Amino acid sequence: MVYLREHEQKTLFALQRLKGRARVAQIIETSGLAHAAVMRAALTLVESKLVTLHEQRQTIVTLTQEGKLYAEKGLPERGTLEMTYRRGGEIPISDIPHEVDISPGAIPVALAWLTRKHWATINREKGTIAVAQEEKPPLGDDERLLRILAKKGSAIVQEFDKSLQRAAITLKRRKLARMREKTLQEMELTDTGWQVVKKGLRFVSEISQLTPELIVSGKWREVKLRKFDVTVAGPETYPAKVHPLQQAIQRAREIFLEMGFTEIRGPLVETAFWNFDALFQPQDHPAREMMDTFYLLNPKAGGLPKKSVVEAVAKTHENGWITGSKGWGYKWSPEEAKRLVMRTHTTAETIKYLSEHKKPPIKVFSVDRVYRNEQVTYKNTAEFHQIEGIVVGKGVTLRDLMGTLKTFYARFGLKKVKFWPCYFPYTEPSAEATVYVPKLKRWIELCGMGMFRPEVLAPMRIKYPVLAWGGGLERLAMLELGLDDIRLLYGNRLSWIRRTPICQ
Amino acid sequence: MPVITLQQERFIKFVKRQLTVEDMTKWLPWLGFDIEEIGSDYVKVEFNPNRVDFCSYAGVARAFRGLMGWESGLPRYKVKGGKTVLKIDKNVTKIRSYMLAAVVRNIKLDEESIVDLMEIQEDLHWGIGRNRKKASIGVHNMDVIEPPFTFTAAEPDKARFVPLDRTDEMSLREILEKHDKGVAFRHLVDWAPRYPLLIDKNGQVLSMPPIINGELTRITSKTTNLFLDVTGTDYLAVEKSLNILATALADMGGRIEKVHVKYPNRTVDSPDLMPQKMKLRINYANELLGLKLSESQVVESLRKCRLDVKTLRNGIVEVAIPAYRIDVLHEVDLVEEVAIGYGYYRLKPTIPETLTIGEQHPAQRTANVVRQIMTGLDFTEVMNFTLINEVFHYEKMRLKARKTIKLANPVSAEYTILRESLLPGLMKNLMENKHESFPQRLFEVSDVGRINQRVETRCERRLHVAGVSSHSTASFTEIKSTIEALLHNMGLKRWEIKPTTHSSFIEGREAAVYLKHKEIGVLGEIHPEVLNNFELENPTCAFEIDIEEIS
Repeated sequence: MVYLREHEQKTLFALQRLKGRARVAQIIETSGLAHAAVMRAALTLVESKLVTLHEQRQTIVTLTQEGKLYAEKGLPERGTLEMTYRRGGEIPISDIPHEVDISPGAIPVALAWLTRKHWATINREKGTIAVAQEEKPPLGDDERLLRILAKKGSAIVQEFDKSLQRAAITLKRRKLARMREKTLQEMELTDTGWQVVKKGLRFVSEISQLTPELIVSGKWREVKLRKFDVTVAGPETYPAKVHPLQQAIQRAREIFLEMGFTEIRGPLVETAFWNFDALFQPQDHPAREMMDTFYLLNPKAGGLPKKSVVEAVAKTHENGWITGSKGWGYKWSPEEAKRLVMRTHTTAETIKYLSEHKKPPIKVFSVDRVYRNEQVTYKNTAEFHQIEGIVVGKGVTLRDLMGTLKTFYARFGLKKVKFWPCYFPYTEPSAEATVYVPKLKRWIELCGMGMFRPEVLAPMRIKYPVLAWGGGLERLAMLELGLDDIRLLYGNRLSWIRRTPICQ
Repeated sequence: MPVITLQQERFIKFVKRQLTVEDMTKWLPWLGFDIEEIGSDYVKVEFNPNRVDFCSYAGVARAFRGLMGWESGLPRYKVKGGKTVLKIDKNVTKIRSYMLAAVVRNIKLDEESIVDLMEIQEDLHWGIGRNRKKASIGVHNMDVIEPPFTFTAAEPDKARFVPLDRTDEMSLREILEKHDKGVAFRHLVDWAPRYPLLIDKNGQVLSMPPIINGELTRITSKTTNLFLDVTGTDYLAVEKSLNILATALADMGGRIEKVHVKYPNRTVDSPDLMPQKMKLRINYANELLGLKLSESQVVESLRKCRLDVKTLRNGIVEVAIPAYRIDVLHEVDLVEEVAIGYGYYRLKPTIPETLTIGEQHPAQRTANVVRQIMTGLDFTEVMNFTLINEVFHYEKMRLKARKTIKLANPVSAEYTILRESLLPGLMKNLMENKHESFPQRLFEVSDVGRINQRVETRCERRLHVAGVSSHSTASFTEIKSTIEALLHNMGLKRWEIKPTTHSSFIEGREAAVYLKHKEIGVLGEIHPEVLNNFELENPTCAFEIDIEEIS
């Protein structure tokens, strides 16, 4: 039993039709198979000794530009020779340029060949050339070949007789022709091959696709399913997925939830009251522009919370009120506080929340959008996500804040953290954290933190210490994803989203 | 954030010890500085706006010496008695309410220190002066003028002097119109009928505060005695600016001398470098920091921050704060000083003992369910900015522009409004991906804004989900199936899909989604004009629904 695959059968039958020996190109045409299929068939057929493979070298010769020119006009030595015969068998060399249609550069070439071909002799003293033979020499092989190639375009050297073959080499040396090597493959049926084809030995075909029909009818028992090369890569396919930045957001959310934090969510547009004033940022101070803010044109202004809260905040700004602080010492304006801004931090939502939920212990968080009036560059965007965590508890301390934060970032794989003095208008003491990023082998600044000032807590009647920290999420995401341009995160290029693995 | 470049050589002179650039880089952050740039012989650092006194080498050096333990407690500044009188006319107090002054004698100035002086003034104008409005500084060569000085209001066209960087006399009005400093700051005075003028005994003009000094009193490296003036609308700002400047000059080798400032109804001796006093409870500091420091440890830490400490009674100390500090408003500021003096690197993190149960916000939970369903339907999530512009949001979508949430100071023409809908963003995503393989199915579940006059912020935030499907056979049927699968899998019941008109969609292939009889969204085949606008070549179907209430 000879098992032959479909393309092997087709190849054998094609060879048979071509009388047992044919070039690969002919087999392709006759069988209707692709080149790759025929070559694959060849390998196995040769192995099974049904076919032998012959390789033939072929040299293809074509004319160069100059060759084509001389094919048309005739070789320069021929032209010169003709002229010499016409002038009686001898002409001065100096006359050649005027009398013969060749370029001046070709003259020395012509003279050299005239001598070589024994067509003429050069008399240096007299400065003439003279014909060497009485009769005009007939067309040389090289000239014949030029004509053949001019007519046919190209030819196979191996098909020439010896004289033309030599002429081809000559033309090549004169740079009038060029030669190119080609390997021809021919397949020939062996005796066994002929037997197989003639006898039509029973063979079983191999198929690649199992079909419902084969399954149901039971015919699957009669066919062989082809073996696949399982090591070959499959075509690329992508799962629909959650955006890589969203993965980072979810990761941060999970860590907070695991640590017992409750999620809060507030409006994207805030009044200056909650965004700045409630956080003890004076209405007229560079700290307020430390974050460049988007103000709204429309709507322009919003409302204020209840009077008692507004008054407490106003007095705290002006003179410290009952907080024991000196305050900022300016006249507080409710109009300024009503202005609407795109919130510059989620701390605005936090303080609003704490003003309504005061009983400890409280742990809240958000991973949400904030806005800064900044040009979009490789490291900044006008909107991004802020991670914010808050702990309210009896007797919580700055060290507790450092510990909580350390735990949080450790879950991101960032285990080495250092804390430095820093400043925020609404916290005191404050700090900032740098973490060691193993991937980058350096320390980078990741977040700010602090304990809310009494001037923030008192107007909201919060009686317990509040720990707060916040940092950009995109920074973390970029570290995870190995990016150094933030714009990639929001570019939404499918080429990037599709290829970014869900797990890093 | 303000910066100062500390040249190693010069910093060493102020700090009075040998230091390498490594030493500086190592220790400055413990004072709250951010290292911006490290050179072979300098360090450029950023400092926080609450410590404007760090704007000079002197300011940084005195804090550094304290932290390193080379000097501790309050820096002492002698203010010698002086005879210089500065008279404040009543008529000028309406324009520029306050002026304080000081004399500094025997100062040695070189090119570097003159540059320093200019930078100190700039930092003070930014950090305290609010661009010269609250406080503005003038530094004059004392030797070419004769006290008593008068701060008065002069007639804009009559009073004349040669301002800095000019050779000819100009009237006050001309200065406001033609001199670059006049043009920049004229708004501070030009509303008044007369402009402020500082003159000496013989009528020579020192300056027109807060605009510009006169050439007469220009400082050069040969100047040895200085007259400092600070004017402004806020007394505290004026005082602090003068204190910071004067103490810096004292640390640069000068000798401060009093000026008697005679207001219409009182006389003030200036500068007043008396320290501010504030109480600190040792327990309070330990409570906030999570430490158990003894009183002497607290005292030592405070002294490292150049504060003086006096024990009052058990557990309470009185802290003296130098006149150049603007940031100590409350006892809590002293607690931070304790931490800085003690060393932040010595604070070991702890975990608070709080038991709380975490909880997701319902909106986020809903959004995640939507993500699960949409990715299950083979839609890939995109994340767009919420800020967009009218052209993309309305014009390209074939919609009439509406009055929407608009920015007053956008950073570029690309982002001028807050989106009301997610679809324009998704269309833009398709446009930017048109060379990628198809089908392309994208979704976004995120926030849009909507004006609502009934809420405090007049704008509300609403959670939407939108999806687009783009490929050669995209159709209404496909997106209808999608949205029905979404609604069904969200566990919603009683929704209806009815015909509607929406210009972004093809006529007759547009529908609205109703939940409990309220319209929550639309779906349809995108109109070819919209496809052209977004340079798309494939039919596209889309939907968008508001799920704020559902969550």
